Amino acid sequence: MNITLGQYYPVDSVIHRLDARAKILATIIYIIAVFCAKGVAGYGICIGFLAAVIILCRVPFRLMLRSLKSIIFIIIFTVALNMLFIKTGREIFSLGFVHITTGGILTAIKLCARLILLIMGSSILTLVTTPIALTEGIERLLRPFKKIGVPSHEIAMMMSIALRFIPTLIEELDKIKKAQTARGADFDTGGLVKKARAMIPLLVPLFVSAFRRADELAMAMEARCYRGDINRTKMRELVYCRRDIYALSIVSTLMLCVILLRILL
Amino acid sequence: MNFVESRNLQFKYIKYDDETDENIAVTALKGVDITISKGEFVAVLGRNGSGKSTFAKLINGLNIPTEGTLYVKGLDASKEENIWDIRQNVGMVFQNPDNQIIATIVEEDVAFGPENLGMEPNEIVKNVNMALKAVSMEEFRDAAPAYLSGGQKQRVAIAGILAMKPRCIILDEPTAMLDPQGRKEVMETVTMLNKEEGITIILITHYMEEAALADRIIVMNEGKVAMEGTPREIFSRVGEMKALHLDVPQITELSSIINGSVSKFPADILNIEEFIDAFKYYGYNKDFHYAKKSREPKNNKPLLEVRDLTHIYGKETAFEKVAVKNIRLTVGEGDFIGLIGHTGSGKSTLIQHFNALVKADEGSVYFKGKDIFEDKSKLKYIRQKIGLVFQYPEYQIFETTIYDEVAYGPRNCGLSAEETDIRVKEALKFVGIDESMCKKSPFDLSGGQKRRVAIAGILAMRPEILILDEPMAGLDPYGRDEILKNIRSMHDKLGITVILVSHSMEDIAAIADKILVMNKGSVAMYDTVDNVFREPERLTAMGLNAPQLTLLFKRLRDELAMDVPVNVYDVNEAAEILISAMS
Repeated sequence: MNITLGQYYPVDSVIHRLDARAKILATIIYIIAVFCAKGVAGYGICIGFLAAVIILCRVPFRLMLRSLKSIIFIIIFTVALNMLFIKTGREIFSLGFVHITTGGILTAIKLCARLILLIMGSSILTLVTTPIALTEGIERLLRPFKKIGVPSHEIAMMMSIALRFIPTLIEELDKIKKAQTARGADFDTGGLVKKARAMIPLLVPLFVSAFRRADELAMAMEARCYRGDINRTKMRELVYCRRDIYALSIVSTLMLCVILLRILL
Repeated sequence: MNFVESRNLQFKYIKYDDETDENIAVTALKGVDITISKGEFVAVLGRNGSGKSTFAKLINGLNIPTEGTLYVKGLDASKEENIWDIRQNVGMVFQNPDNQIIATIVEEDVAFGPENLGMEPNEIVKNVNMALKAVSMEEFRDAAPAYLSGGQKQRVAIAGILAMKPRCIILDEPTAMLDPQGRKEVMETVTMLNKEEGITIILITHYMEEAALADRIIVMNEGKVAMEGTPREIFSRVGEMKALHLDVPQITELSSIINGSVSKFPADILNIEEFIDAFKYYGYNKDFHYAKKSREPKNNKPLLEVRDLTHIYGKETAFEKVAVKNIRLTVGEGDFIGLIGHTGSGKSTLIQHFNALVKADEGSVYFKGKDIFEDKSKLKYIRQKIGLVFQYPEYQIFETTIYDEVAYGPRNCGLSAEETDIRVKEALKFVGIDESMCKKSPFDLSGGQKRRVAIAGILAMRPEILILDEPMAGLDPYGRDEILKNIRSMHDKLGITVILVSHSMEDIAAIADKILVMNKGSVAMYDTVDNVFREPERLTAMGLNAPQLTLLFKRLRDELAMDVPVNVYDVNEAAEILISAMS
């Protein structure tokens, strides 16, 4: 059985090689820029930037479209709502109580573009960064906030252990499901209540097993001298390279342009 | 210099009792005096609950002594300030390979320990390289642990300890969850580390063949040291070991029985080479011959038939893998079939087809002449008639009482309360769980008892065919014997057709009529026990083995030209033959 977590797409590209911190920061800046964008020029810059990244990262375009699949209903819903209820501008179509105006269409297009830009942008982050690099990036970015009590190391450790154990537990669930099926259990028929009850024989063993694993893992970690963040080093520390600085400068410039456009127009 | 030194070492812990609502103190260690010198290889034997693991955890500071003294590398283990120093010097490898790997990449996992110690990055890289090399896992440094075999995972775990540059490694049943190949890999690594790197090894195990490799054996019982000595001394005390519910290697037991009749013959032989040498030395009758008939294949009425079955995982994806292909076989009514094969040979996939848990891509399974998928509404009936006990069945326990746990299957099959009651009681009695325990929680039972309750859960459905996937895995010798006895009487008394998956060739030889050997997704052999074990070379090539006695008798034939049969699987029978050959 193979379970891919996240959706990392392993190819070698300029974008893949960037430092995880740079990628996370760039994504945040990009998201702010998308929210600030106004007018054709603002959106144009964002779309242009996204297109450039898509070409550079060498991930098949259909994989990115896949990320849109899950939000397609949200997009349709917002488009419909905006078209139906915004009544500014010229009326171009009317039938009974439905009045569609130019203002409505414009807002719908804007929102739709914004949603697509946001989702595609952030899905690129997970496509080009391994989950492990992502957690490490988050840990490093949060490190300055440790002084005010943000447990950056613990958050990262929890995330990486979760990443490590989710496939194991999925496999375990599959095994338990088969074992209970062999005992005559039926998970597919019956009403909602019956189906919910049928979950007990799956969930109890799964939780028991998860706790047992957690207990054993904690012991194994302690035996290997783990004591949280105290006096801990890393085999490979993240180091910013020149390309990371370039990447961040480009994204920052982009955001500045978008903000300036918003103020000026 | 003594690396570990304990005087009257005691350890108590507090356990919450459900029934009386009280906390009770349990004494796991009741005064243990042990010294282990630097560079020694010590094996610790004992039943489950004898205090072996508790002792191990004390040595590396996971437990703190309640009373008595314990010095590790000259450091007082009862002092908090020493535990980090002790843990660095004493690494620990646990039983379950999945629950001790922290990272998603091999290299990162090995680096975890050194990172915790605050080593410099370039030193960590150096240590990780060294450790991976020592366990021969360099080529897997970028691999994800999830895709490694059990033996490889345990070697990664050992590397993770080695990278911390320890003086001593404790291994707590490191091979319990592995197949013979994985066991061999781990034991070779461990012996090499001891001999070449001079690392002190403390090995807790239930496998006597592994303990035989040690310099010294410590036998624990009820929180105390029961016996201590070289493997030779310990294993020759067969009676005492059996009284402690432990085993001795078959070859040692054989030599000790022979010693009873032929007193000059040594009673403490540890391996086949020594046995042959002793046999040559003490002389035997060259004209001796003993013929034993092969067990005739039984021609039972076909009950379950598999026709051209192929199963492919992840079909039409990048991860496509043929699990089993073109399987064709017949299981007769009343057969007792042993199913052997290395991990990943397709055993588990195959048996899941037998009771319609998975559907084949090609071909199908026929129960009493009918395709099991013919009538979808009868799948429950099929699963009732063809019972499947999964590996570690105790992990599927979920009910609040033992009674309800066993009744889950019968109730799912729509049986009446009276009928369910009869069957639950009958099944529990059969596996040796007293009726008075019915209202207890199954989670409070010991490992072996839990497993027997889980097996009773399948038995209560009154299957005609019972398939058991490694039902003895991870149990101590006593627990193994109990389960094996149960299975044998299910076959003999209840007339159930049994398919038993096991890695223990000795058990299979002793109990099965036929053996099905799976290799790389195909049936490699399907024949009587005698015929399968007649070709040990073929089995070895598939990462399997023949029983020790078979190997011995084969060598007696080949090297000493003795006319003895090779189909001998019972120690007493073997002794009888050899004693008469020597007189």
